[in-house]
Amino acid sequence: MNAVVTLFIGVVAIFLGYGFYAKTIDRKVIQPDGKKATPARMYMDGVDFTPANRNVLFGYQFKSIAALGPITGPIVAVQWGWLPALLWIIFGTFFIGWVQDYSSIMLGVREDGQSFGALSYRFISPRSRSILLTFIYFYLLLIMAAFGKIVGYDLMTNPAVPLGLLLVIGVGLLAGQMTYKWKMDIIVTSGITVVLAFVGIWLGTLAPVQGFITNVINGAVAGTGPDGKAIQTYATVFGAVTRPQFIWSLVALVLCYFGAVLPIWRWAQPINYVSFWIVFLGILAGTLGLLIWHPAFPADFPAFTNWNGNLCASANCSSIDPKLLKNMVPLGPMWPLLFVTIACGAVSGWHSLVSSSGTARQLENEADALYVGGGAMFLEMFLATLSLLTAVVGVGVTKGFAGYVGLVAAGKNAGIFAIGLSEMMSKVGVPTSFGLPYGSVFLTLMGLTIMYLVVRFMRVASAEFLGDSIPLFKNTTFGSIIALLLSALMIYTGFWARVWVLFGGANQLMASLALLLVTLWLMSNGKNYMWTFIPFLFMFVTTIAALLLTAFSVFSQLGAANLPVDKIIGNWLAGLIAIYLVIAALFLAWDALKAFNKARENKPVKTSV
Amino acid sequence: MPNETNDEEVKGKKPSWMDGFKSVMYGMAGHDMARYALKTRGSMEHLFILITMGDLLGIPILPPYYSLRLLPYVVPQISTWKRRMLREKDLTDALA
Repeated sequence: MNAVVTLFIGVVAIFLGYGFYAKTIDRKVIQPDGKKATPARMYMDGVDFTPANRNVLFGYQFKSIAALGPITGPIVAVQWGWLPALLWIIFGTFFIGWVQDYSSIMLGVREDGQSFGALSYRFISPRSRSILLTFIYFYLLLIMAAFGKIVGYDLMTNPAVPLGLLLVIGVGLLAGQMTYKWKMDIIVTSGITVVLAFVGIWLGTLAPVQGFITNVINGAVAGTGPDGKAIQTYATVFGAVTRPQFIWSLVALVLCYFGAVLPIWRWAQPINYVSFWIVFLGILAGTLGLLIWHPAFPADFPAFTNWNGNLCASANCSSIDPKLLKNMVPLGPMWPLLFVTIACGAVSGWHSLVSSSGTARQLENEADALYVGGGAMFLEMFLATLSLLTAVVGVGVTKGFAGYVGLVAAGKNAGIFAIGLSEMMSKVGVPTSFGLPYGSVFLTLMGLTIMYLVVRFMRVASAEFLGDSIPLFKNTTFGSIIALLLSALMIYTGFWARVWVLFGGANQLMASLALLLVTLWLMSNGKNYMWTFIPFLFMFVTTIAALLLTAFSVFSQLGAANLPVDKIIGNWLAGLIAIYLVIAALFLAWDALKAFNKARENKPVKTSV
Repeated sequence: MPNETNDEEVKGKKPSWMDGFKSVMYGMAGHDMARYALKTRGSMEHLFILITMGDLLGIPILPPYYSLRLLPYVVPQISTWKRRMLREKDLTDALA
């Protein structure tokens, strides 16, 4: 199959999903009324509740939901073959993804812009609110672990990346100074800072810089990997963690600390602004390059590998370093694990939080909800498909399936995207020597953008939960450091593949809980609820199964011989978090079941919707 | 810009494709910044009203003489301030 045909299939899915299925649900079930005052108009306070233009909100929604999830998930899922990954991206979005995003917005709009905590209190049970919030805390911790590992272990250990990244961050700070202190025009600020950011990334690729980072910071070369590149094997106090992984993870956490404690206009916001242009231009150049290149899928890249995602059963792994091979565990059974491995590209609980607490309070007109929520989700499906193609054709055509397997073995999952994107960008004239670090900086910035927000939120959450009993938690620095220490523990001790599945599981569980809330809301209003109830059931059962399977995998690994202490700690942590998430979800489901029965008994009051 | 509808729509003209594209780009790149600026302003207004109109909540901070002198300037903010103060808040609000 040709890569452009894959993109075309995505476009057809958007046409059918958005144009027929979504519009039918919108028209016949939700029946938006353009004349009805939305919470943004009714409760306008100039801060949270502020009406915004539909196109502005579309951009806001898309930017808020698209992070590392839709990029990394499809690349990992290719271990089962590209066909299952592609099918789940398309059908997941078609039947579940847009449903969740759109219905979360409508739920917020019709229920006075209330947040999920308040809605779960009302529709499920009083205790469900507390359960939901502790659940979200662990979910965010898993985001920190999964993204932190990608940033620290995978992307920044490439010596061409760190200087470019740090310079882009410096340029971001300059953008903040120019905008807020020097009051300069935003167009001039954008032009200057984006050019400087490009120069910064280019400086990072220079040989003396790379040599300095390799020799002085990353440590001396201790061996070579399957691709002929140097591997740093010097261990640290964290056992299996090598020196560059330790140093760059630490740097990432320090950056997150600044993001969490400094005023948002000083650090996170202007850096995110400059990052946006890096990401946007990268996606644009990659898509254009792919269309010009239009390569066919390589013949040796299997559409389906095997049920367990065991790459070595489908490829010759004899050339891979045994040390790396030891870390390359099969992902596990395709059901349920594929459905949590690709989260954001198909369906994601994060979207429901953004939709209900952010977008629903800014929607100017009820009739815009489908365009904003559904449209942004379908666009994210397109991004996930593009990401899948970076692995299958970007890496597959140039390095073959064996190249993909080698990169997975080396733990370079996000690196696969950077390589694939650089190959695509090379078709529009961007040299791969620049494109590769550019892709890595692009991904690192995407990860850090979410990580700043997550640490900030964890700090607020710990102050809220524990601030009254332990006043120290109300201290900004203390709360942030505790959140970062917990994150560091997860980053340094977890197996990445397991952490990613756990993160995906928590994310999908959040999605199923959002669907549950919407189902209860539809029931209480006498509306057809099967279009949210069936996706809820599927996601709930699948995610519980995935979490239990992951808990079983990590606990059974504890018996393995020669398991380093850090991995023993990491497995215990991962297993306990998985079990906690399952128990919390079961409690919520039990309360929801009671609420279901109550809603069935009560005659709906149709006038409320 | 966040609380504005499209200028062209206000003038009764049908917005062009380019206007839509510009708005989407603004939504992706700058809308968050505008929202944070509004949130910061909102927080400052909270503090200001609390200091000047604390009597309304039973917290006398300024002598009523000064509160009364400031009252005409604060009145336009009172309705939105009440909405913000009385709205049920949640941890998830910090995410979006």
